[in-house]
Amino acid sequence: MAVLSEELRDQIRAQFPKYPNKRAVVLPALHLVQDAQRHVSIEAVREIAELLELHPSEVHDTMTFYQFFKDEKHPLGKHRVWVCRSISCMLRGGEELLQHMCEKLHVHPGETTSDGKVTMEFAECLGACDGAPCILVDDEAHMNITPEKADDLLKSL
Amino acid sequence: MPTVIVNNKPVEIAPGEKLNCVQVAQRAGDEIPSYCWHKDLSVVASCRMCLVEVGEKKPDGTIAMQPKLSPGCQTPVKDGMVIVSNSEKVLAAQKATLEYLLLNHPLDCPVCDQAGECGLQDYSYEYGRGYSRLQEPKNIKPDKDYIGDQITLFTDRCIMCTRCVRFTREISGTAEMQVISRGTHEEIDIFPGEPCNNKLAGNVVDLCPVGALCSKDFLYKQRVWWLKSKNSVCPGCSTGCSITVDQNEDILYRLKPRENPQAQGSFMCDEGRFGWKYVHSNSRLTQPEQRTGGQTVSRDWTTVQNALKAALKGAQGQGPSKTAFVVSPWATVEEAYLLTKFAKEISATAKVAMGPVRVVGEDDLYPKDVHGNPMQPTKFTIRAEKCPNRLGVEAVLKHLTGELLTFAAVLDQIGRGEIEQLYVLGGDPEGWISEADVSKLDKLKLLIVQDLLESAASGKAQFVLPGGAWAEKDGTFVNHKGLAQAIHRGLRGPDGSRQDGRILMELLGRSGLFHASTLRQEIAGEIPELAALIVGDLGEEGALLNTAAKSELQPA
Amino acid sequence: MSNFEPTLLARINKPDSSSLETYRRDGGYEGFKKALGMAPVDVINIVKDSGLRGRGGAGFPTGLKWTFLPKDHPGPIYLAINADESEPATFNNRILMEQDPHQVLEGIAISCHAIKSNRAYIYLRYEYGRSYRVLQKAIDECYAAGLFGKNIHGTGFDLDVVLHRGAAAYICGEETGLIESLEGKRAWPRIKPPFPAIEGLFRKPTIVNNIETMACVKQILDRGVEWFKSIGVPPDPNNPRDAGSYGPKLYCISGHVNKPGCVELPMGVTSRQLIEEHGGGVWKGNKAKAVVPGGISMGFLSADELDLPLDFNGPGKAGCLGLGTAAITVIDDQTSMVDVLFNCARFFAHESCGQCTPCREGTAWMHKILNRIRMGEGQLRDLDLLTEVAGSMGIIPGTTICGLSDGAAWPIKNAIKKFRGEFEEYIKTGKKTVKPADALMAAH
Repeated sequence: MAVLSEELRDQIRAQFPKYPNKRAVVLPALHLVQDAQRHVSIEAVREIAELLELHPSEVHDTMTFYQFFKDEKHPLGKHRVWVCRSISCMLRGGEELLQHMCEKLHVHPGETTSDGKVTMEFAECLGACDGAPCILVDDEAHMNITPEKADDLLKSL
Repeated sequence: MPTVIVNNKPVEIAPGEKLNCVQVAQRAGDEIPSYCWHKDLSVVASCRMCLVEVGEKKPDGTIAMQPKLSPGCQTPVKDGMVIVSNSEKVLAAQKATLEYLLLNHPLDCPVCDQAGECGLQDYSYEYGRGYSRLQEPKNIKPDKDYIGDQITLFTDRCIMCTRCVRFTREISGTAEMQVISRGTHEEIDIFPGEPCNNKLAGNVVDLCPVGALCSKDFLYKQRVWWLKSKNSVCPGCSTGCSITVDQNEDILYRLKPRENPQAQGSFMCDEGRFGWKYVHSNSRLTQPEQRTGGQTVSRDWTTVQNALKAALKGAQGQGPSKTAFVVSPWATVEEAYLLTKFAKEISATAKVAMGPVRVVGEDDLYPKDVHGNPMQPTKFTIRAEKCPNRLGVEAVLKHLTGELLTFAAVLDQIGRGEIEQLYVLGGDPEGWISEADVSKLDKLKLLIVQDLLESAASGKAQFVLPGGAWAEKDGTFVNHKGLAQAIHRGLRGPDGSRQDGRILMELLGRSGLFHASTLRQEIAGEIPELAALIVGDLGEEGALLNTAAKSELQPA
Repeated sequence: MSNFEPTLLARINKPDSSSLETYRRDGGYEGFKKALGMAPVDVINIVKDSGLRGRGGAGFPTGLKWTFLPKDHPGPIYLAINADESEPATFNNRILMEQDPHQVLEGIAISCHAIKSNRAYIYLRYEYGRSYRVLQKAIDECYAAGLFGKNIHGTGFDLDVVLHRGAAAYICGEETGLIESLEGKRAWPRIKPPFPAIEGLFRKPTIVNNIETMACVKQILDRGVEWFKSIGVPPDPNNPRDAGSYGPKLYCISGHVNKPGCVELPMGVTSRQLIEEHGGGVWKGNKAKAVVPGGISMGFLSADELDLPLDFNGPGKAGCLGLGTAAITVIDDQTSMVDVLFNCARFFAHESCGQCTPCREGTAWMHKILNRIRMGEGQLRDLDLLTEVAGSMGIIPGTTICGLSDGAAWPIKNAIKKFRGEFEEYIKTGKKTVKPADALMAAH
């Protein structure tokens, strides 16, 4: 029973013409799979490797370098919330914000709430220092986050 | 001649020779320490152990050194280059690199296999600071015994040289080894469910400079400083990998490949590496036997050998001899020569044949691509011909007997009653006759077996001579390419067994000890095809029988 | 100075600034058309003559880099755009991509023609989701309008632009780390030589350029070499190796100021001017204790070094690594430098790719030492140890493969040298900083 749907495979294959070899599709493929399945399982890595004509270890090697990708033991929740912990945010209360949000959700960074809704992470500089402290919710950056704004945001998820 | 100056010593290199600083320094007698560099793997320059100062000597004699350190392994040398590996800057960098490597390295020496042959121990002693300034907790990483059937990993000992990863990607092509995670938390691992079990897997243990990757076969068995090493050649196939035999008190502990650009290069396959257990098998033949009517009548060497000779001589009649001598392609050149001489002594018309040449499948070429097909260029070959000396035995037989009789033909002739006496010099641990064919030997009137392991055939013989395994003898093997290499007596066989060469010398009534080098010179004088053996001492790399083959040198 | 008329940021507050239509109405892609009518080598010479130096952090002369490509190479030649912008405190590329993507794309198109590349890969850090959407839309608009694709403007020049998302790793901003990542491998930077211009992406000649640099290329083609050279700082006549600091520069201001933001000014503005005239002054009425001049990799300026010009030469005079990304971060006098330095050390330890020994082990070691100091268990000799360790790593001494370790080392060297008193005081008094966030993150 294949882990990657035919649709997902087609999406991965659609990347091939953009690069001179299939190996370059590793990162796009990992993103596609994680976005769809909220994690990249070992079986998914195997299937990606087969599609790309690589050894599974080669795909897995790349995948684990970017601590961005989660395995089946640590799937992402519906939403992924990153709180920046680098210098500009730290200077303006970023770490306290992280603490506040983790305590609110009763999780440590890296963990997902028990209802599967939110995975909290810390991030290195998100490049939104003009609005520090900032957070990234999935694909959208939110700047000038106070604890109150954070609470509202979490409620809206 | 292009000249490179290493620590004020001039080193000449041949025009067109491509060397890096580490190699040139070796020639100057100086060591530039390195971990990640290996001549058969890609250059990554990541361990930073080989940092040196480089510069150039200008035509006017002044020396201009580069302000920053360079990794010696990634810096190719050229005429006029100046390399300094003993300046304060270099020594400080070496101390720093070793201090860094030891930060998270566990103090496992007392329990680590690698102790005594460890790159970290050795370089720490030579180039290290001598004390640690670490006050922080070390990273802890879990051991992994699932890396391979033969391989276990002590993850926290790893210095991340990535030789193992590069080996499985570039040499075997099977790509089992990988890195996981990033930065100081990196670990070597395999993909779950895909252990490193390719046929060249054992090499990663050799390549590992520290005791991270260990051989399960050798784990905790022996301290390396008690091991005595002898150069030899793996008998597993006609590639004839140069190896060393490591033993202590006549117990063989491990085989390791020995670098020989003339032979296979730097590696060996697992079949050869781990396939020597039969040397210590309980089925080793340990005493000579003379049997009459199925009953043993003597176990004394002199008695048995004299009776054997008498039996053979007595069987010769008026017509052409019905006696055949079979030399296994596992026998050395010297043994083939001596047995053939003995055969001719018994009868001028005695037949001498080659034992069966066991061929399993096809030549296995590495590296493989992701689909398992071999890729060019070939970096290692495990050959289908599973014997070490077919070419050598052939050369002796063809010259001294004029023809090359196959073992199949011998069996046929036995069946037709044209051969009634058979003397077999074995050596192949898989035996020299199949189970199906053993019954054909019943037609013989006299069967003499000189071998190392008991078998159904030796059970039928009237005379049994317990011979040695390849690791227990001096001699010569000729590999697929015509490279004649010396094997050396690494350990003594079980009590009661004898080197086959000695047995044959005594049968021939030759006085003195069996001495391979002297015999080689005699053989070279008599057999033109083996003229290269005239050197007597074949050195570490061996001698090509046909020097024209040298120009077609391909990696094994 | 405060009246400098922006060029790179001229369009960012216009309504619909990211659409092709408004861009073309403002004269967009005329420069590209003009360039297509010129021989590639002529375009290279324009960029060379302009004195443009790369805006990614190294400041290497852009036109000169382009000439390193092998002549008469059968191809393909690649242009890789470094949109990985991960240097802490830096966000100018983000603003350009989100608000004026076509300016960047036009710069890319011009550059591709100049270096005879038919394919550009934009390596975009994953976290810039909005930039991704805006850029992809802009790229699609260009294809639809025949500005990208086959036989552009009937000149026979083909151009494909591929947007490639990263996965949150700082080292992908290193040019060969970027290349390795794009190729689908772990982003371990390559040893050099060979340099990317000779053997880069997919082992073909490759130029890696920064987003802001591309925007400058577009402006130079539109406004001319003389215009570019009329802005900034000419070379120091006493230094034959100085290539000058020409052109407008985007400066990011963040940290303890009232108005963090991005401002476009001629190269050579000072930190004090940025803080006072553009950043709204130090917040809460506090004073500045230290300023990071160009992303934390560059180190720290002390309070009496705020009048150094922030051009390619200035920060070096104060012992900083360089101008870097020209992103200044202001640290007020109520903040402990120990905390700040710990934050920097933690960043580099987390982002070290792990390939070479000094960086892999050294960044982690410095992080652990600073953690111990912060926990109140530091010793004075730790400061000398940190300085020694920092001094032994980097491409400047030649001990590492890439410059991440230099970036890791410089804040340590600067902080301990310039704020030694504060560190010694912290250690001697056994001060301890315990932040709940630290424990939370350590458990991860």
